[in-house]
Amino acid sequence: MRNPHTDIPGCINRRAFLGQSGIGFGAAALGSLLGDGLGAPARSKEGYPGLPGYPNLPVRAKRVIFLCMAGGPSHLETFDFKPKLNELNGKPMPESFTKGQPIAQLQGQNLKVQGHLTGFQRHGKSGQLISDFLPWTSKMADDICIVRSMLTEQINHDPAHTFMNTGTAISGRPSMGSWINYGLGSETENLPGFVVMTSVGGRNPQPIASRQWSAGFLPSRFQGVEFNSTGDPVHYVSNPGGVTRRGQRSVVDAVQDLDRYRNKKVNNPEIETRIAAYEMAFRMQASVPELVDVSGEPQHILDMYGAKPGDGSYASNCLLARRLAERGVRFIQLYHRGWDHHGDLKRYMDICCGLTDKPTWALLTDLKQRGLLEDTLVIWGGEFGRTPMYQGKGGPGRDHHMKGFSMWMAGGGIKGGANHGATDELGYHSVQDVVHVRDLHATMLHLLGIDHNRFTYQFQGLDARLTGVEDARVVKEIIA
Amino acid sequence: MVNLISRVLLISLFTGCICIADEVDFNRDIRPLLSQNCFACHGPDQHERKGKLRLDTMQGSRKVIEKGDLSSSELIARIMSDDPEERMPPPEGGKKLDAKQVELLRSWVLSGAEYEEPWAYVAPSRPPLPSVKDRKWVSNWIDSFILSALEEEGLKPAPDADPVTLVRRLHFDLTGLPPGPEVVESYSRNTDKEAGYEQLVDQLLGSPHFGERMAVYWLDLVRFADTVGYHGDQDHNITPYRDYVIDAFNLNLPFDRFTREQLAGDLLENPTIDQQVATGYNRLLQTSHEGGVQAKEYLAIYAADRIRNLSAVWMGGTLGCAQCHDHKYDPYTTRDFYAMSAFFADIDEVEHFRVGSNSLPTRRPPEIKVLSRRDREMLAGLEAMKPRSGDIEKQIAKVKSRERFTMVTRSIKPRVTRVLPRGNWLDESGEIVEPAVPVFMGKLAGVKGRATRLDLANWLTDVENGSGGLTARVFVNRLWYLFFGEGISRSLDDFGGQGLPPGNPGLLDRLAVEFYGAKWNIKHMVKLLVMSRAYRQGSIATGDSMRVDPLNRFFSRQSRYRLPAEMIRDNALAVGGLLVLDYGGPSSKPFQPPGYYRHLNFPQRKYKQHTDSRQYRRGLYVHWQRQFLHPMLKAMDAPSREECTARRPRSNTPTAAMVLLNDPSFVDAARSFAKRIISEGGNTVESRLKYAYRIALSRQPEAEEQRILKKLLVTTREEVEGEDAQLAAWHAVARALLNCSEINTRN
Repeated sequence: MRNPHTDIPGCINRRAFLGQSGIGFGAAALGSLLGDGLGAPARSKEGYPGLPGYPNLPVRAKRVIFLCMAGGPSHLETFDFKPKLNELNGKPMPESFTKGQPIAQLQGQNLKVQGHLTGFQRHGKSGQLISDFLPWTSKMADDICIVRSMLTEQINHDPAHTFMNTGTAISGRPSMGSWINYGLGSETENLPGFVVMTSVGGRNPQPIASRQWSAGFLPSRFQGVEFNSTGDPVHYVSNPGGVTRRGQRSVVDAVQDLDRYRNKKVNNPEIETRIAAYEMAFRMQASVPELVDVSGEPQHILDMYGAKPGDGSYASNCLLARRLAERGVRFIQLYHRGWDHHGDLKRYMDICCGLTDKPTWALLTDLKQRGLLEDTLVIWGGEFGRTPMYQGKGGPGRDHHMKGFSMWMAGGGIKGGANHGATDELGYHSVQDVVHVRDLHATMLHLLGIDHNRFTYQFQGLDARLTGVEDARVVKEIIA
Repeated sequence: MVNLISRVLLISLFTGCICIADEVDFNRDIRPLLSQNCFACHGPDQHERKGKLRLDTMQGSRKVIEKGDLSSSELIARIMSDDPEERMPPPEGGKKLDAKQVELLRSWVLSGAEYEEPWAYVAPSRPPLPSVKDRKWVSNWIDSFILSALEEEGLKPAPDADPVTLVRRLHFDLTGLPPGPEVVESYSRNTDKEAGYEQLVDQLLGSPHFGERMAVYWLDLVRFADTVGYHGDQDHNITPYRDYVIDAFNLNLPFDRFTREQLAGDLLENPTIDQQVATGYNRLLQTSHEGGVQAKEYLAIYAADRIRNLSAVWMGGTLGCAQCHDHKYDPYTTRDFYAMSAFFADIDEVEHFRVGSNSLPTRRPPEIKVLSRRDREMLAGLEAMKPRSGDIEKQIAKVKSRERFTMVTRSIKPRVTRVLPRGNWLDESGEIVEPAVPVFMGKLAGVKGRATRLDLANWLTDVENGSGGLTARVFVNRLWYLFFGEGISRSLDDFGGQGLPPGNPGLLDRLAVEFYGAKWNIKHMVKLLVMSRAYRQGSIATGDSMRVDPLNRFFSRQSRYRLPAEMIRDNALAVGGLLVLDYGGPSSKPFQPPGYYRHLNFPQRKYKQHTDSRQYRRGLYVHWQRQFLHPMLKAMDAPSREECTARRPRSNTPTAAMVLLNDPSFVDAARSFAKRIISEGGNTVESRLKYAYRIALSRQPEAEEQRILKKLLVTTREEVEGEDAQLAAWHAVARALLNCSEINTRN
C-alpha cells in the first residue's frame, strides 16, 4: 500500500514515482525530472532526499553505527556487577525471580545461580564499572553511556534480532536502518545509505537472516546492502570476466542511449529513473572497491584497529565503518556473531572480546580524532542478555535472557561517562529506569531529529511506526 | 481517496467557501476520513475506546451528531475548535483534517449523517450495464463500465496497442514468457485481427505455461518457500505442493474447489493424492527449529501466522491485527481471531519439535511421498503395458525414483484454543473458544458439532450463507491487478475500513458475480479480462490522460511496468536460447554469488549450484530460501515469502542494474544470444542487428538504434584483439539489448 503522502493531488507524480522507483540520485537530476513547485523536499546536496519536513527536531546525530554483538553477550560479564550474584553462586535460583517466566534452553531444569565469571573495576573520571573482559572499552568509560536496564520481548535469537531491528517479531517490517534512510534520505550518491557487514569468532555462530536489514514494506531502495569480505564486496559489483571498465562504460552508454531514444516515444518517467540507476550502478562499481580498499590507510591506523586488509574481521569492518561514515552512509550495522555462550563462557568471552574490544575502542577513538563522533551515534549491544542462572554446555555458561541486559551508546548527542537504569540484585529483571527496545528506537530517532510518534508509513491500513503501537519514551536522561 | 474527494469539491474563488458539488457518499468520502482520523480511539476496539464514544456505528455517532444540525453536533464543534485541548483529532497524534475534509464532514452531517455498511461486506449485486456514448469502442461488458467512467471524467480511452506490443503483453501476462518472433509476425499479418487475437488467447490459456505464470502469484499469496524461515532456515519438503498449484491452474480447477482442497483436502471423502498434497497449504508457514524454543509459544505464533495468511488470501482482511486487541478499524474482535484460529487447532504439527532437526531437509511430519501428476499418469501408462519388457521395467523404476516427500495436513484431536490476553501465550486466563467465523459476518449454517476446516472452506466460497461474495471480490480484484497492473480497489490486501474503496464499484461487483456465477471458473475470468478493449489499450500516457488520471485510476490506458523478477530471468534466458522449459519437479539452483549462505547455520550451508540444464529452468522453480532469497530475484522485488504478498513493489535500483549487467546468468544469456546472432543473423552488421531485434523485441531496429549499437560494436572491437573480437563485440550488443528498458518492461 502506498503512503498517504503520495496520494496528495499535485504531489502524486513525485512521491508515487519515487515510491515506485527505488533509486537515489542527485538533486539536480531530481529537479529536472520532477519539475518545481511541488513542495520542497528535504534535499541533501548529494544522494536522495528524505521525507519533506524531516528532520523535524534538532539534529544531534547524522548517522548511526550499530555494533551488534549477535548471540547475546552476557551483561553479567560485561557491564552489570551484582555482589549478590557471587554470594549465591551455586545455590538454587530463588523461585521468586523465575516463576512463570519464559525460559529458553533451561526449560524444565534445576535452576541455580552462576556468580560472575570475571571481576569488575571502576574506570575513568566517571568511575564506570566495567568487567575485566573489556580492557579497551574501559579506556573509553568517559565517552560511553551504559544502559543497564534494557528489556526486550523475545527470548530466541531470530525473533529477538527481528525485534531489535524492526520493533516487532513479525516478519516483513522495515528495519531501523531502512526507516532512517526513508526519513532522512542519503548523503551519498555513490554508496547505499544502509550498509551491513558481518564477522565471526566465538561459539558456533547463530544464523542471521537478511530479514534483519530488510526494507519490509518500505520501497526497496531503503534495503540494507551487505558488504562481503570475500569475492565481490557487493554482489555483482564486478564487471563480467574479460570486460574492462571502458568496455562496461560503452555498454552502459548504449543502454542509456537506447533508453533515451525510446523515451522520446513513450514518455515514461520510469525510464529517466532507470537511466539514473544505471549511472549510479556504474559509479558504485568504482566507489565500492575504492571504499573497501584500505591500502591507503597509514600503518598506525591499521595497527590501532588491528585490521589486516581483506581479512573480513570485526577489526577490518570497524575500519570500513569509519570509512563509510566519512562518506555519508546513514546507517552502518556491524554484526559480530559468536556471543551465544551457553557453556564455557569464559573461554568464549575471551575470544569474542579479544576480537571486538580493541577494534571498538579504535573506531570510537578514530571517529573522535576526526571530529566525526560528534554527529555519529554509536550503539553497542546484543539482541538480549544472559541468565543469572548457570547453564553448563561444556563448562559454566548462561542461557538466553530478555528481562534485563546492558547496552552502551556514544557520540551523537549522548552523555559520555554516564550510566542509566539498573537490574535487580541478581541481574534478572530490569527494575529501575527500564529502557525497552522501543525506547531505544525512540531515542535513536530523536537524536537523528525525528519525532518517533509522527514518523509513520501506512501499511495495511495502519500507521506503522518503528516504535510500534505501545508508548515509547525518549530516554532524555542520557542525552547531553 | 483524496483524489476521489477532490472530484466532488468545487472551490469557489469568489466567496472563498468550499462547496460540495455531488452528494456525499459515506463509503467513498466519509468512512475513510473517520477511519483514518477517529477510529483508533473511537472505533471498534472497546478496550481502547475513549470517552465511551464510537463513531464506526451510526448509533454510536448519535452521541455527538445531531443530523442536519451543525451547531448542535459536538463532532463538528470539536473538529473545528481552535482550542488544542478541545480539538479532534488531538493535535499531538499528528492527525489533522484539512479544510476540504472538514467541509465534507459538515455536508455529511447536514445531509443527515447516514451510515452505510462497509462496502466489502455487503453482498455484491449485479449492477446493470452503464450506458456509453461511444458504443463502437465496446468489445465486452467490462468496457461499458470502463468507458462510462472515462466519459464521465471527460476522458477518452487510449488508442489500441499496436500488434507487437499487444502480443508481447498477452504472452507475458498469460505465460510469463516472451512470444517467439513468428507468433508476433503471424498475428501482425492476420487480416482478421479479432479472430486472430481470440485464437491466440485460447492457445495461451491452454498452454502449460499459463499455470506456471499464475502459480507465481498464488505462491506469493500463500508464502510458498523451500525453507522453514526462522533461525536455521533449513530446507523442508514441499515442492509437490507447487506442482499441485501449477496443475490446478492448468486444469482450471474451480476456485471454490481449489480453496477446499488446500484448506481441508484431508477432510474430503477418500481424498485423492492431489487433494492430500494440496493440504500442504496449511504447512507453508514459517517454523522454528531453534534449540530452546518453547513449543507452546511457537504454537501460538503458528496459529497467528495462519490467520494472517488466511484472512489476507481469502478475505482481503487484516484479522491478524486482532491478535492482541480488537481491530482498530474493522469489526473484528480478538475473540474472532482466536475462534478463527481454532479451525486449525486439529493440525498435527507438534512433531517437528521432537524430530525437526538440523538436517537438510529437516523433517516436519506428517509428510507423504508422492509422484507428480504427470509422473503418476506416465506410470499408469507404463504399468498398463503388457507384456512388460525389461526396458519398460527400467522406465517404471526411473519414474518411481522421482517420488518426493511433501508435507500434508493430518487431523488430530483439536488442541484447546483460548483467547490469549494481549496475545500473551503464557496467560491461560482467557476463555476457551470453539471454531467460528467472525461474529459480524454471520454464522456457519447447518454445522453440527465442532466446525471444521472444511466448514470454513465451504463458508469462504458460499455466496448465499457465507462470505463467498467477499472472496470473489478479493480474487477478481487481484486478477484485474495481474492484467491491468493495478487493482480496481488499490488495496489488494485490505478491503477493510482503512483500505481504498474500489474506484469502479459496479465493475468490481459485476466481475465478482460473474466469477461465482460461472462456477468460480478462473480461465473464463481471465479470458473475459484480456478480451476486453480496455485490456487492449495502448499504455502510453498522453496529455489528458496523464493530467486528469496520472495514476491511471480510471484505466484510461494500459499499465506499463518492469516485468516481475521471474519473467526478467526467463526472458533473458529465452532470448539467449538457454531457457529450459521442464515442468514441475524439485527446485533448481542456478548460479548465485559464492558465500551468499555463509550466515546460515544449523547446519552450515553450502550452495551447490546445478551445473546441468537445471540451472536454466524458469524462475518459478528457483530454490526459495526465505532468509537469503536468490539475490537476482530479490533485486527485482520478489518477496521472501515470510508473509502473504499481494503486491510486489516495482523498484528501479542500481542494485537491479548491476544484476542485469553483471550476474553470470545474464552474462551467459547474452553470450549465448551473441552466438545466435553471429550464426543465424547473416553476415552483415545490418542483418545481424535486425535478427537481434526480432528475437529480443519482436520488431525491426530503427536507424537511430542501429547507430547506437554500431557505435558499441566499434568501441568494443577496439578493446579486444584477435578472434575473440567479433564475439566480444556482439556480446556487448547482446548485453545492451538485455539491459534496455524496453525488453524488461511489460507495455
